[in-house]
Amino acid sequence: MKTIKGESFEIQMEDDNSTVVFRGALRLSGTEDYAPILDLLKSTLAGPARPIVLDLTALDFLNSSGITMFSRFVIEARDQAGINLQILASESIHWHARSLKNLQRLMPALIIRLT
Amino acid sequence: MKNQTFGYYGQEVGDRHEYLTLAFSPLSAPLRSRWRNNGLSADFLGDYVTTFLPADGSTADPVGGKMEIKHAVTYIANELLENAMKYHEHSVDIPIGIHLELTGTQITVSATNGISEGQAQRYQTFVETILREDPGELLLRQLEESSRDKASTKSCLGLLTIVNDYGARLGWRFEAHPTYPAIMTVTTSAVLPLTNLSGVSA
Repeated sequence: MKTIKGESFEIQMEDDNSTVVFRGALRLSGTEDYAPILDLLKSTLAGPARPIVLDLTALDFLNSSGITMFSRFVIEARDQAGINLQILASESIHWHARSLKNLQRLMPALIIRLT
Repeated sequence: MKNQTFGYYGQEVGDRHEYLTLAFSPLSAPLRSRWRNNGLSADFLGDYVTTFLPADGSTADPVGGKMEIKHAVTYIANELLENAMKYHEHSVDIPIGIHLELTGTQITVSATNGISEGQAQRYQTFVETILREDPGELLLRQLEESSRDKASTKSCLGLLTIVNDYGARLGWRFEAHPTYPAIMTVTTSAVLPLTNLSGVSA
C-alpha cells in the first residue's frame, strides 16, 4: 500500500491501485508541494479500466491549491477515453457540497457519492 | 500609484460590532515555517467566530449552521492569509494582518500585506477581471488553464472559490505606504452575508 503522510494529513492508495483514501487537512503551499500527490493520483489512470475511487469522506479541509490539484487530475481523467471516476464525499464536511460540484462541471461523467 | 478602492469594500451594515485582529512580522521566520501558522490562525478565527454567534435560537439547525459558518470563515481566512504570505513584499518590515469583524448581518474577513507597485498593478488587473466577469465561468476557465500550464501557481484561484463556492463579496483597498514610497499596502476583504449560510442569523 502506497502512503503519503504529512503533519496534518494521510493519503493511502489501496493495493488495487484504483482506490485512494484521503484523511485530515490538506493545506500545502502550491503546485510543487502537491506534485507527489498528483503523481499518485495519475498512476491510477495507467491501470486496467475499472472504477477509480477517491475517498474524501475523511478529508476535513482542502485549500485552493488542493482544489487545483484535484482539478488537474479530473481534467486528465476526462481527456482519456473510458475512465470511470467516482468521488466519495460527506454531507457533514461543508466544503464537499460547496466545492466538489466544480469538478463535476469540469468532467460531467464524474460520479460524486455524497453520504 | 494613488490610493484606490475596488469592489465591495468598507460597507458597514448593522450596528453590533465585534472584531479580532492578528498581525505577523514576516521577517521573523521563513515562508515554510510561517505556512503552518496560516492554518493555525485560520482555524483559530473559525473557532473564535462561533463564540459571537448565538448558542441557540429560532433557527432550524443552529449547530449545523454554526459549523458551516466556522468552516466558511476558516477557509476564507486561510486563503486570504496564504495569498498575503505569498505576495507580500519582503524587502520592507510591514506586518501582515488578518482581521475578523462581525455585525448583526455579516462577517468580514480581511488580510493586509505590503506589495511592490508592479505587483499592485498586476493584482489590480486581476481585480478588474474578477469584477467584470462571471465568477463561476472564470473559475472553470482558470482551472482548465492551470491544468495546461504546469508552472501556473499565480491564478488567485482562492479568491474565485471564495466568491463562487461561499457567496462572499470581495473588496480591495490599495494604499501608498507613508514610509516606503515604492511600496503599497493592499487589503483584500471578503464579506459573508449571514443570510447566505443555512439557517443562521446573528
